[in-house]
Amino acid sequence: MTRITRFVGGLALAAALAAPLAGTATAQTPDSDAQIMQGLSQATMFDPSLTAQVLRQMAQDAVTQNLPLTLDKSEIAKRLDKLAQITVQIQFALGSDIIRPESYRTLGSIADAMHHPILANYKFIVVGNTDTTGTRAFNLKLSQERANAIVQALVVVFGVSPDRLEAVGLGQEALQVPSKPQDPINRRVQIFTIGTVGPMGSPVPTSAP
Amino acid sequence: MKRFLVGLAALLLAGMAGSASAQTMSYAEAGALIAKSCGPSIEKFCAKDNLGTGAVRNCLMAHQDQVPQQCFDDYAAARASIAKRIAAQGDAWNVCNANIRQACAGVQPGDANILTCLQDASKVIRPACKSILVDAGWWQ
Repeated sequence: MTRITRFVGGLALAAALAAPLAGTATAQTPDSDAQIMQGLSQATMFDPSLTAQVLRQMAQDAVTQNLPLTLDKSEIAKRLDKLAQITVQIQFALGSDIIRPESYRTLGSIADAMHHPILANYKFIVVGNTDTTGTRAFNLKLSQERANAIVQALVVVFGVSPDRLEAVGLGQEALQVPSKPQDPINRRVQIFTIGTVGPMGSPVPTSAP
Repeated sequence: MKRFLVGLAALLLAGMAGSASAQTMSYAEAGALIAKSCGPSIEKFCAKDNLGTGAVRNCLMAHQDQVPQQCFDDYAAARASIAKRIAAQGDAWNVCNANIRQACAGVQPGDANILTCLQDASKVIRPACKSILVDAGWWQ
């Protein structure tokens, strides 16, 4: 635990120092590098039954049946709440899946965390969410396209293995603040740590005498 | 704590020197560099193209006469640095294998345990191992 704390501190420091060099005025968003690593590495338990496919189906069913929106969090949101996760803001062009350049840095920060040995053996689901502006079906489709775009950038530009990532669009079916369904706070990208890629490996052999 | 302070000094030095040529940028820095130098051109000419498809780069090339040279230079530098870091991250454990066997016997891989072990044994690890961990962004 000390190690992780020290490491996270180092990342935050590196980010603070790197930001002025990179010259990005908006570099220090709430989703700092340290928070990304911290959120994703809090994986104490997994829910093997909650796969990307199951999530997509739950969202699709909610849209198809036009389930009423409640003031309480949806069933999907409640189940996702239990996983190790981070929420990031990625800026997209209006109504499209085009990632705006101001968010390239955030994509890189996510890649930095995923490539670090602390997280190297883990798999993730990238989830896109909208607010309730627009039709329910359109929101579902758009959020899936946006999640796909993020995964594509992480894989192609930043070299994260495609075996470690899945994209899921939940549309407006997992609102952050159900009491304010049109609040932009609901538009967000979440990344969940959902399991390991392979077994952790055997201990390093002690050198033969 | 002592090591942390040394790390802090190294980071400050690196910060003052700009980007040290032997090291690689973090992926975040690479993304930020592309955004800074090419962002305005991308927003202007390539508003319908997404990163990761090759379309952004093709679009910038198609508008070569209107896109600042700095964008092409920084884009190439960012891509080269990303490639170097990915390669270093892929090769690191092989390059450090002898040191790992020597210094980390009995350590359970995962959760950065091996990396921590190597850092704790920093005085005896080979320069090649340390160098690749630096390029991987795992050693500051």
